[in-house]
Amino acid sequence: MLGCLDTLKELTQYTAVSGREYEFAAVLKDKFSEICDSVEIDKFYNVIALKKGMGINGPRIMVLAHLDEIGFLVKSIDKNGFIKFTNVGGIDARILLSHEVIIHGKKDITGVIGAKPPHMLEADEKKKAVKIDELYIDTGMDAKELKKYVSIGDAITLKSHPFFLKDNKYSSKSVDNRCGVTVLIETANELKKLKHKPDVYFVATVQEELNLAGARITSFNIEPDIAIVVDACHGDVPGAPKEVVFPLGKGPAIGIGPILNRELTERMLDTAKENNIPHQVDVEPGSTGTDAWATQVSKYGIPTVLVSIPVRYMHTSIETVHANDIKYAGKLISRFIAERV
Amino acid sequence: MFDLVKKLTGIFGVSGNEEEIREVIKSEITGYVDDIYVDPIGNLIAVKKGTGKKIMLAAHMDEIGIMATFIDDDGFIRFSNVGWVSQYYALGQRVKFKNGAVGAVFYEEKLDEMKNLKLSKMYIDIGAKNREDAEKKVRIGDTACFVGDTVQEGDMIISKALDDRSGCAVLIKVLKEMPETENELYFVFTVQEELGLRGAKTSAYRIMPDMAIAVDVTDTGDTPECELMEVKCGGGPAIKIKDRSIMAHPDVKRLLEESARELGIPYQYEVLEKGGSDPGAIHLTGGGVPSGAISIPCRYIHSPVETVNINDLENAAKLLKKCIAAKM
Repeated sequence: MLGCLDTLKELTQYTAVSGREYEFAAVLKDKFSEICDSVEIDKFYNVIALKKGMGINGPRIMVLAHLDEIGFLVKSIDKNGFIKFTNVGGIDARILLSHEVIIHGKKDITGVIGAKPPHMLEADEKKKAVKIDELYIDTGMDAKELKKYVSIGDAITLKSHPFFLKDNKYSSKSVDNRCGVTVLIETANELKKLKHKPDVYFVATVQEELNLAGARITSFNIEPDIAIVVDACHGDVPGAPKEVVFPLGKGPAIGIGPILNRELTERMLDTAKENNIPHQVDVEPGSTGTDAWATQVSKYGIPTVLVSIPVRYMHTSIETVHANDIKYAGKLISRFIAERV
Repeated sequence: MFDLVKKLTGIFGVSGNEEEIREVIKSEITGYVDDIYVDPIGNLIAVKKGTGKKIMLAAHMDEIGIMATFIDDDGFIRFSNVGWVSQYYALGQRVKFKNGAVGAVFYEEKLDEMKNLKLSKMYIDIGAKNREDAEKKVRIGDTACFVGDTVQEGDMIISKALDDRSGCAVLIKVLKEMPETENELYFVFTVQEELGLRGAKTSAYRIMPDMAIAVDVTDTGDTPECELMEVKCGGGPAIKIKDRSIMAHPDVKRLLEESARELGIPYQYEVLEKGGSDPGAIHLTGGGVPSGAISIPCRYIHSPVETVNINDLENAAKLLKKCIAAKM
């Protein structure tokens, strides 16, 4: 079981804040070239790997997972060297207090997000959630030294200390959506053992956290017959409404909703049942908050299915996932491609 | 540069009514390019033919304004915004309709607190005796722009509609001083940016360029007690890092940085937390167009007293001219 977590652990070590994905894209290109027939990086740094099928003029399937992650950009450096920053993607400012960060300037620089000591908090400050524009990063350097390495617009990521939790769980930054990228790799590996007719495009997309830019661009350019989107959904946490969270380790969640193709979704569910693959059902009445929103309406429309991996503590540095869900998702999608398309 | 800016800012061109400004720009650039045409949505597209890469340059020619929605029995005109209009900026200003009719913008005086001011509590007084009299000059659906003369104080230009006639001026200057290049250049004066980047979308789809660079204004952080932003008027053209519609493409950002460095002109970086711009629409067109922007630092955006530094405009033109001649 742990094989996929090793892959995931490796992938979470890289940085790919939305819009700054070029370095990680190159890493993924190498990874995919080991298991696919050809790989290219497009001009927006989407990674597109083709695994050819046995069919001639068979259907073309795109399996996509976004490779980017949330983060920050340097907004300002004050005269004392404190850095003000802005978010890229959705972030709850409350999780940031006293966090370690890495500023990706001319070289990587570690900093801390300062927090006012409790002794100094006014009564009303204690009641209020802190806002991102009240926070600052302290690198220890003065402004003059700092500006040698850091410019306005440089990316910042939360420093993460990845670790394995009990029962095949892994916790790190950017599990959303490196777990999805890991599913792509798992699927490609599974497909090696199976015979499949369709050509399969494994696509790791950029800028999902901003505006689904990578999915829009790649689905337009590849124009597949079917899109399978792999992304994270919310893992079960105490106090959350049951209908929007999914227990970890019980298998991937198959999306059902108006923007997802009904017939293909049924086929995906049948694949899971016939192969005894644990799975859950994720009801998505709206946009799904994933690349599926973009693929569905690309060009003339692409029938889209959504397979989600439960992840706890989304958009933090301790996003937590279970190995089974990744493993089963790989089995599910590969069998769907081999048996049902 | 000032004369050109003054000429452009003085022309009417509220989003959706860009006819006059389009004609003025067209006559300004005729003879300097291989082809000029207007697309179905109203964008003005000027082409310098070439065998190299297709580069699209975009500046929007529309401006914010208001639209008459209702005329009461006494001849007072109620209105709605076209693009983002602040009720506070609008208060006490003059607006001018396309036919030249000028009105005063004021508010219902029984309004208790200024913070409750809304455009719906305001009206335009064009000096009409009654509705019939008002309708001789203004019909509902008519648009009007704000009135704000164009003046130069030191290095600063103060005017209405510097957003984005200053960008149009930069494009025109570059077009007239066309650099030697194999690249095929599309100078696009877009419509309806203020309504949601509408013109950029269709023009980019038609051209499908290899790269796009927009020239538009951006906020600054150099006025008393303003929101934090590291862009200053006079600090040089700003290279866009991001706004709410785009993370500028790294290749375009790099091209702008390297060109600015080679020229030895001052430049700065723009991280804009609110507001979108034409490259946001262009970069997601078709199979994707790497896009970025040169941003003109501008104080008091969307007011009749928008303020830019003329040196930033000159340097923006130098920078753009250098970029479009780059071998790609």
